[in-house]
Formats: sequence, C-alpha cells, structure tokens
Amino acid sequence: MALASIAHLTYAYPDSPAPALAGANLSIDGGITLVAGPSGGGKSTLLRVFNGLVPHFHGGRISGCAEVSGMQVIATPTRRLARHVGFVFQDPELQTVYATVEREVAFGLENAAVPAAQIPARVHDALAEAGAQHLAGRAMRTLSGGERQRVALASALAMQPELVVLDEPTSQLDPDGADLVLDAVRRVAAAGRAVVISEHRLQPLMEAATSLATVEAGRVTTSSPSAWQPPPAPARPQPHAAAGDEVAALTRVAAGFDGRTVLENVELTVGRGEVVALMGPNGGGKTTLLRVLAGLLRPSSGSVTRRPGRVAYLPQNPAALLHRPSVRDEVSFTLDHAGGTRRGETPDRMLEALGLLHVAGRYPRDLSSGERQRAAAAAVLAGSPALALLDEPTRGMDASARDSLARVIEDLRWRGAAIVVATHDADLRAAVADRTLTVRDGAVR
Amino acid sequence: MAAWSAACLVVVLMTTNPAYKAMVLAAALSSLAAGAGLRRLKTPVIAIALVAAFAAMLNFASAHLGDTIIFSLPSVIPGLGGPWTLEALAYGLAGGITIGAAILAAAPFSLILSAHDVVDALPRALSRTGAAIAASLNLVPSIGATFVQVSEAQRMRGWRPRGPRSWAEVVVPVVLTSVEGSLQLAESMEARGFGSGPRTFLAPSHMRPADWAVVASSAVALGLFIASTVAGWAAPWAAYPTLTLPAVDPTPLLACLFLFAPVVAWRLRR
Repeated sequence: MALASIAHLTYAYPDSPAPALAGANLSIDGGITLVAGPSGGGKSTLLRVFNGLVPHFHGGRISGCAEVSGMQVIATPTRRLARHVGFVFQDPELQTVYATVEREVAFGLENAAVPAAQIPARVHDALAEAGAQHLAGRAMRTLSGGERQRVALASALAMQPELVVLDEPTSQLDPDGADLVLDAVRRVAAAGRAVVISEHRLQPLMEAATSLATVEAGRVTTSSPSAWQPPPAPARPQPHAAAGDEVAALTRVAAGFDGRTVLENVELTVGRGEVVALMGPNGGGKTTLLRVLAGLLRPSSGSVTRRPGRVAYLPQNPAALLHRPSVRDEVSFTLDHAGGTRRGETPDRMLEALGLLHVAGRYPRDLSSGERQRAAAAAVLAGSPALALLDEPTRGMDASARDSLARVIEDLRWRGAAIVVATHDADLRAAVADRTLTVRDGAVR
Repeated sequence: MAAWSAACLVVVLMTTNPAYKAMVLAAALSSLAAGAGLRRLKTPVIAIALVAAFAAMLNFASAHLGDTIIFSLPSVIPGLGGPWTLEALAYGLAGGITIGAAILAAAPFSLILSAHDVVDALPRALSRTGAAIAASLNLVPSIGATFVQVSEAQRMRGWRPRGPRSWAEVVVPVVLTSVEGSLQLAESMEARGFGSGPRTFLAPSHMRPADWAVVASSAVALGLFIASTVAGWAAPWAAYPTLTLPAVDPTPLLACLFLFAPVVAWRLRR
C-alpha cells in the first residue's frame, strides 16, 4: 500500500471558476518524488493536499480522494496530519515563528505536546539530519536564506514524519544556499524517509529521484526520472557590435549604509545596447552597486553620471509592488507615469513578450509566484528605459519564464538601453550578457 | 525588569523632589548603559534630552511666576512677555528630569529585552497567544523593509508623492504584502500543528538569581520610598514663590540607591 495517494482529485480555490487540480492521480512510496511543471500549473496546490492545507486552510471545492498514512485528508484536519507530514515552504522568511534556532525547531513538538524532557534530543537529532547542527544556538535573524531553509527542514523532521513535502525550497536562494538545502534533502531521503519536492531546476535532484510527476494545467502525469531530458541551453546572443555611447558611469565610487562601507573605489561604465552581468557572493555589493547606479543610494565619495532618460529598477522580491486591479493595469501605471503612453506604447506588447497576455486581466496577486515575478518585471521594464537595472530577476522563475525574460532583455538592448543584471543564474548570464563583472568584497573586477 | 521599571516610575511620579527624581534618572541611565551599552544608548538619550530640554524651556518661557527675576520681556509680546524667573526655570528643569527618568525607566522593553523575551515571560495559560504574538513580531522588520523597497520601486516607475492620497500607491502594496506574509505564516504554523491542543515547552523562561535580586531590590526601593513619603521623610519640593534647595533625607535616598540594582545584575550576567 502506498504511503500517500491521490485519486481523481479535483480542486478549485474559492471564487475561482477553473480548477487548480483536475482529476489528479498520484501515488507516493519511499524515495524522492520530484514534482515539475510550469509556474501556475498547480504544483503548490498538489503539494498542499498532502498535509491538508488544501482544502482545510484554503477552503474551496474538492472532490475525489486523498490519503496519507492511512488517513483521509479531506476528513482529517491539518493540525493532525502535521504529525505525519512535514512541510517546508518556499519563502524562508515567512515560516519562522521564534527568534532562535532551537525554539524554532521545537515549535511543532511543543504543539504536539511532546514531553518537555524529550524535546531537546528530538531537536538535536532533527538538526543533525538536516545538516544544520552547527546552527544550534544561533538567532534566526542572523541566518542566511539557505541556513533558514535547513532549519525549516529540521523543524519538519523533528516531528518524525513519514512524508516530507518541500515546495520549491530553493527558489529564493542563491546557488550555494540551494546546494546546501538539496544536499540535506538527499540525506533525508537516504535515511529512509519519503520526500516529495517541487523544483524548477530539476537537474541537481534528478539522479536521486525515484519518481517524476509533472503538473500542468492542473493535470498530473508521472514518468520515470531516467526518461527525463534536460532542456536545451538557452541560445547565446548574436555577436554584438561594441557598446554605444556611455549611458551610466561610476568613477572612484565608495558607498555603503548603516555606517558600513560596502563598495570601494568602483569604476564602471555601461554603454547603449550593452548588457553587463554582475556576479559574486551574497553580501559582496551587487545590490548596493545597482542602487548607486539607480540613484537610490548616494555614494560617500566618487561620482555617478547618467545620461538623461528613464531608469528602470527591478528590485529583489518585486512582486511586493503589485497592487493594481489587473496585470495590464500594472504595466499601464508605469507607462502613464514614465511617458510611455504618450509615445504610443501599450502594455500588451510587454505582456506578450513575457508570456503573460493570457493573464493580463487577472488580479496580479492571484497569480502563481513565477507569474507574479514576471508581472512585476513587465511593470518595471515597460516605458522604454534608457538604463535597466535588474536584481536577481529570475529568482523563482521556471526555465520558460527565464527564457521570456532573456528575450525582453534582448529587445531592450536592441532598442538602445543599457542593462545591468545582478544574477546568480548562469543560464541567464550565458543568454544575455556581453560582459560579466565580479563584485566581491566591495570591489568590481 | 518590569518590576524595576514599575518601581522607578512610581518613585519618579510620586515625589516632587528633584533630588530623588535625579537619583532615579541616574539609576535608569546607568542600568541601561550596563545592559545595552553606551553606544546603543547615545541616540535615545539625545532624543530624550531634547524632549526634556524643550519641556524645561517651555515652562521657563511661559510660567511668569516666582520672585527671582532673571530678565523681563515687554508684556506686549503674547505668551513670552513678562518676567522670566529662576523659579520657572527650576520647575521646568524638574519637569524635564521627570520626563527623562520616566522614559528611561520604561526603555528596557525596547533597548535591553527582545520582544520574544517579553512574550516568553507570559504565563503558561497564555502560551498559544504568546506563540502567535512571537510569530507576528517576526514580520515587523520585513514590513519596514517592504515599505522602503516598494516606495523606491514606485519612484523608479515614475510615481511621485503628491499629497496624502498619492501615498496609497505605496501603502496599499505594503499592507497587501504584510497581509499575505501573515497568511503565509499562519499557513506555516497550521502545517506544524499549531492549535491542536495543550502545548509543552522546550525551555520555559526561568528567572535567574540575578533577576530575583533585581525584583527584590525594586520591591525594597518601592516599599522604602512609600514608607518615607508616608512618614514625611521624603519631603516635597515647591519651586514657587521663592526657590529653595530640595531637602534630602537618608532613607528615601537609600531607597533610590536600590534602583541601581540592575547595574550589578548585568555585570553578574556577563
């Protein structure tokens, strides 16, 4: 008998006419089940069925059958299923309850009324299983995203669940953080637990996976991981003429914040029709450099020159700025304020380029996280910017969304914009960058 | 620290004698310096000093009472005209000391203790409420960060603040993001079995000997000062009509000395 199974399951969120899952069937045994599929296809909804968040937390209409550890999901509250199914969410910031690592890992055990004398040992074992024992004693606010996700995994493991479910746990992390989390996931599976994990970047887990489920338009198909083929590498940009006139330049710039110097003696020029990629470790100064270029942070010394024209700045987590009634309205907002409407630009051109035309009339916060990311990119990059600054723009995007963004960057470049992209994404860099600079310890090389 | 704050506040608000108020101010300053460090104290102390100075100057400028005239302004100047007296200045300074001491006495909750320490100290019957509050507190820093990020992003899209209504373009997304964050946190807590019944605790908050010493010292200070007031040893002070030096008695002074207990307690903790 399978550890968990879903049969003919159809589910629709409240007020949504279309089902998020349509007649889904899936059976989970031991090992790693990898859940793949495009943004908005229903992956997160499927995963939430296993611990009953769908339908108990989200409401909506459900039919069919779902069973975990012999319990009917539809008839069992999430708080009871929590003792059998551990769940790790996408965003490491938004699943922290307590201020210290041990208290955080112990939270589920406290809820399950595990005797106080047993809790320290369970916390210790869970941290060890998640490869996070060295984080014991640390304050949560001092942890990196990757460390936080491993603590979240330890929190799930502390309950000694039969099934561990992870919803894109690496989508908000840099490559080093993502590697650490995926290492921990492999270790958990090797220790004999069943793992279900959704990921956009499949390659790192494919070798260890025992099953592959693809969720697209609410339908689930299963296949053998051995039959999976990696997507073709994105096309390299066509050979490009030398960069045009200078659009922005930094001369001997030093900058920082909170009394800390982050950049020192930085020299940088970006020309028309040029794409410059910034790489380097977290905390090295990439975001600070973009903020100085954008004029959002005044340098403590040195000078910044910018050619007149609109500057577009896509910050990390840009989905936070979405608030208009529809995705189309979001793009129109920028065009109206940045003069694009006067020049005859329309929102649909940008939406089409980013593959969002089919959701143009929808409320942006109702979209999947990947679609929201693209909607925010469309809203920021509209209006023919002279200088476009993008901070980790592919975070949370699947491969096709990343390819769409690469095409938009390419289009901006051909229209004469200068573009600076801070990214850990090697595929994006390969697809768009004319020049790659490393920002490390406040210096640009 | 709650007992110590309460004792300081009662003493400083109970007496009119600036000598005892100044003792409480000194106790609060040195306790905070011992707990939070002088560096963290610099900005709040400057702010409090400015508020206290403003209160003192306000009284000096507006209360034209007292016998010792320092200078006079023509009475045709509304509010400021009339004699400016030493008594009004002294009374204003005493008011400034009261404000400074009262604010600093309440400051440990923001300067020394984390919000989670306070939540952890809640009685066991309120543990579920405490856990929910603790979780909400984790969202507070992200709200500030979201506000900065959204306002910058909107500016870069061409938005400019033009009157209060225009701020809706920043405030609405920040509120929406905060609500979404709260919902995601609630979802995460539900997924970890929150609310499934009685809870246990990894490490209930234990009072250490140094904490008990502070509680005991605060109680002694409070009891001694109230007794001194009832017995008439903690003499009141009045600036008007002629300024006199405040009378100081050893017993209420000793009571105030007990309020320095946190200085010793913080040193012992280290």
